[in-house]
Amino acid sequence: MADVVLEFAEASQSIEALRAAAYRFIGDGSCQIDLMSGLYRCALVPARNSKLGDADLRERFLALVTDENLRESIAEKTQATRDVILALAFGALAEAQTAEHG
Amino acid sequence: MAKFRTSAAFEAATDDLDLLPIRFERLGDGRVIVANMLGDMAILASGDLERIVRLDMAAGSELYATAAEKMFVRRKDQLSSLQILAMRLRSRMGFLRSPTQLHILVVTLRCEHSCPYCQVSRRSTDKDRYDMAPETAERAVLTALSSPSGRIKIEFQGGEPLLNFELIRHIVPFAKQAAVAAKKEVDFVITSNLALLTDEILEFCQEHSILLSTSLDGPADLHNKNRPRPGGNSHELAVQGIQRAQQALGRDRVGALMTTTQASLGRVREIIDEYVRLDLGGIFLRPLSPYGFAVKTKQFTKYDTAEWLEFYETGLRYILQLNRVGRYFPEFYTALLMRRMLTDRPTGFVDLRSPAGVGLGALVYNYDGKVFAADEGRMLAEMGDRTFELGDLPEETYSSLVLSDKLVDMVGASLTQCAPQCSTCAFEPHCGADPVYHHATQGDPVGIKPLSGFCARQKGVFGLLVRLLDESPEDAAILRRWAS
Repeated sequence: MADVVLEFAEASQSIEALRAAAYRFIGDGSCQIDLMSGLYRCALVPARNSKLGDADLRERFLALVTDENLRESIAEKTQATRDVILALAFGALAEAQTAEHG
Repeated sequence: MAKFRTSAAFEAATDDLDLLPIRFERLGDGRVIVANMLGDMAILASGDLERIVRLDMAAGSELYATAAEKMFVRRKDQLSSLQILAMRLRSRMGFLRSPTQLHILVVTLRCEHSCPYCQVSRRSTDKDRYDMAPETAERAVLTALSSPSGRIKIEFQGGEPLLNFELIRHIVPFAKQAAVAAKKEVDFVITSNLALLTDEILEFCQEHSILLSTSLDGPADLHNKNRPRPGGNSHELAVQGIQRAQQALGRDRVGALMTTTQASLGRVREIIDEYVRLDLGGIFLRPLSPYGFAVKTKQFTKYDTAEWLEFYETGLRYILQLNRVGRYFPEFYTALLMRRMLTDRPTGFVDLRSPAGVGLGALVYNYDGKVFAADEGRMLAEMGDRTFELGDLPEETYSSLVLSDKLVDMVGASLTQCAPQCSTCAFEPHCGADPVYHHATQGDPVGIKPLSGFCARQKGVFGLLVRLLDESPEDAAILRRWAS
């Protein structure tokens, strides 16, 4: 039976960010995510050797979700720029190889 | 009469700013490490990170200056930022243009020591069964010289390689001749416990400019406890060997490595003092690896990552103290990381790169002709796990080994640029994939990073180094010097 349950509105919370937070949470415990009536229900179970109490688990997971939401926001704003940088970096490399080998 | 415009007329409007790709890791004290996609970092207050993401900065403010300097943001019309990031990224990935520079020849599996943490699962007898044959060594050298790199390093390992010194004496001139024909350069290293060092061996090393690398775990009682030998005199012989080699070859031609065991914890200052006493050029505070006898004897599980990080931090701070009073003495792993963090130059350290160094950074030619993608892969094979075995020398060429589906799949699966958690980690540009470690500990080349001892160790070390660079100008100057 899960000790701690948090809920997030499907309309405003990205499932990808929740999954990423659940992944980062693995060291402290496991998280099962279910969708029910427009709410993501995250059931947290502490790891066997975890010293974290319920309040700590809740706070830790919420912090991770906040961070993953921020990471997602950054990625959305910068993905196109990142693609340009990679193209500039490796497009030039490919060009140099073509010139070298004819 | 013309009037001066106000300063506001010269300030860039922040709605002319674009966010550049950034990552962050929290320090847990209200501060956060923010990094650009090349790993240039700044420690900021949490609120400042959010302001950068919202582009909510007053032009000319300290936060704006930091964000611009570190390339967290750019002016919309500033193409040069993108070009600089691209050029630097290309430099950082330049190691891919000189693949497989390191070639390890395991000339024998025999050894006269009985180290409980031995990673190579040494054997004590049967020369014919566990020594590399000359034909195998020659084939290995020719394969090594087929790598595209213009300069390679051949490292003789074991067991104890001096137990098969006859082979080394044969293969070094063979390799030098073959290198001339291939228009390449070759360097040599022998990794040895030095217990069997003779004047003849030293003369040979001097003649052929061979570097010697040995193990020194600290003062005599600690070293002998970690590295038992008949006679119990491993430390005495190692010290004699180091001093004789320094005299014959030069101080910079002899290096030593230590391995942290449970017995080492709490004694890091004594270990460092022993290295300083022997006038060694630096130290590598190396944790135990999860291979070979270290697993069988359960040495690997006798301390955890947190304990090793405490050992490392105590040791590093002590070393920095030594440097502050005038003794140049780097911690080699820290120096490697500083080079990664402060320059775009490749380090050649195969464990700290993505794509991983397996096969692409190093190949290992075992005594029996089997070829492995990594030294640790060879160690796993001695435990019955042949995942990192690429082939057999008589049948394979360099190309068939490195372009094998097995290696390509392994490297592709373990890219940190794509792995969960790694791909969004602020330290990723300076870190490495280490598929062998994750396979050995979790049965998977990527591993679950929140459960990875490698990841926890790396994050601990990076976090400490970033704090030192930020908080202590004197230590920062020393660390920068190590990077140059």
